[in-house]
Amino acid sequence: MKKWQQRIRSLLMEQFSLPSDVVMEMPRITIIGHLHFYIENHQGLALYTNEELKLKVANGFVCIKGHSFVLKMMLPKEIMLEGTISEVLFLNHEGGKEE
Amino acid sequence: MKKENSPTIRAYITVQIRGARPELFLQKCAVKGIFIWDVKKIEDDCCQATIMFKDLGALRKIRRNSLYKVSFVDRKGFPFFLSRLCKKRFLIIGIFIGFLFFFVLSNLLWSVKITGVPKEIEEKIETELEAFGIHPGVWLFSLDTPTDIQRQLLNEVPELLWTGVNLQGTTLHLEAVEKTIVEELPPGEPRNLVATKKGIITNMYVSKGRAMVSVNDYVVPGKVLVSGNLNTEEGENNTDAEGSQRQPIAAEAEVIANTWYEVHVSIPLQYQAEKITGEQKKKHYLRFGDVQLPFWGFRDPDFIYSQEERREQPIHFLKWELPISYVSKEISETEKIEEQRSKEEAIEAGIQQARAQLENELGPEAVILSEKILHEHTEHGKVELVLYLSVEENIVKEELITQGD
Repeated sequence: MKKWQQRIRSLLMEQFSLPSDVVMEMPRITIIGHLHFYIENHQGLALYTNEELKLKVANGFVCIKGHSFVLKMMLPKEIMLEGTISEVLFLNHEGGKEE
Repeated sequence: MKKENSPTIRAYITVQIRGARPELFLQKCAVKGIFIWDVKKIEDDCCQATIMFKDLGALRKIRRNSLYKVSFVDRKGFPFFLSRLCKKRFLIIGIFIGFLFFFVLSNLLWSVKITGVPKEIEEKIETELEAFGIHPGVWLFSLDTPTDIQRQLLNEVPELLWTGVNLQGTTLHLEAVEKTIVEELPPGEPRNLVATKKGIITNMYVSKGRAMVSVNDYVVPGKVLVSGNLNTEEGENNTDAEGSQRQPIAAEAEVIANTWYEVHVSIPLQYQAEKITGEQKKKHYLRFGDVQLPFWGFRDPDFIYSQEERREQPIHFLKWELPISYVSKEISETEKIEEQRSKEEAIEAGIQQARAQLENELGPEAVILSEKILHEHTEHGKVELVLYLSVEENIVKEELITQGD
């Protein structure tokens, strides 16, 4: 059932060239150098320390590592992070890992 | 992306959240729609964040259902600044009173300086000024304009020839020049007295000199009335020795003669006059540039004819003139009177007018004895009069004796 939905969504995306973050309910992430990390459409904050930020997204987590983190802004579905970013990791339910 | 400047005009507070994984509490808040910024993790179980002051109630509601502890670290923003300022109420009142003090003091008249006249006239001017309401301690904007003060002073103090009034800051500088009576001729010089006008002499008071005319004589201008030369006519002089020839002296006398004047006047039978009824209204304004703000007397009086007097006084702060000035307006109701007078009344008015005119011309010493209407003629609603006035006055003029050798 879920697979089927996913297929329709990617079909829509391809056929009507709709933005993927809207159709797929995926987060939109903007990173400015290693200074700013801006995420829209996340689904909750899981962990926050000065060195790590873990956010829940549609199918997994996004994990940002670095140091001297400050959350410049917190809104229901948006977060802006300031600090020195060294890695961004996508932790999927499937167990995949990418940088 | 929503860029948020630190909103200093609005109140915001920094809070510390204590408890296991405080970021989750913040997340809960964010979900509820509380805007959070500048989140920092201080310790493992302690988070610092900044929220708007108005969201505090919502934050408290969330805290109630949780184990987290919230404490306040800092309060910033203009409203907090204001409330802190309110606590220092006496400072504010003090500053305000201080400004008021300066403002009041720089709008008071502090001193009146009179220069250029001797002490007794100075005192006279001071009492006169006191009577006009000008003395140290009065409001500057209740003062009359310098030209008004000048005019009033000249009217009230006859010894003054000229006054210069100048308001400099809070000091009224008054410069005055005293009238000095200049003797036309040096008193010791030998001289004759001659007639200035034609007339019939009615009275003679000779204190020095030899009278050359007698009462009831008709004289013409230039005729010697009283001679300074005390020597009698040559014929009678024979008995005196040559050496006893006396030197001419300065003649002094008053010769009153009956003189006459012809005066032409024309008086209209119909005349218009404007009279103040006594009804009046005062309005007060504060003027900022072109804008006049009334602060007393708002209603316009319903006068048909009125006359308006406007006075403006700038307001000072220390030595600067503020862009505000105080304007007072006095609106007086007037009446237009149109009147018709009979010929007799017109003639009466004409005689009065002629008398006044002549008195003005001749000075206070002349006495008008009688007037006669020589000719009267009514034309175009006007009465033309030719009057004949007989006057008793002093006709003496001094003339130096020019000695031959």
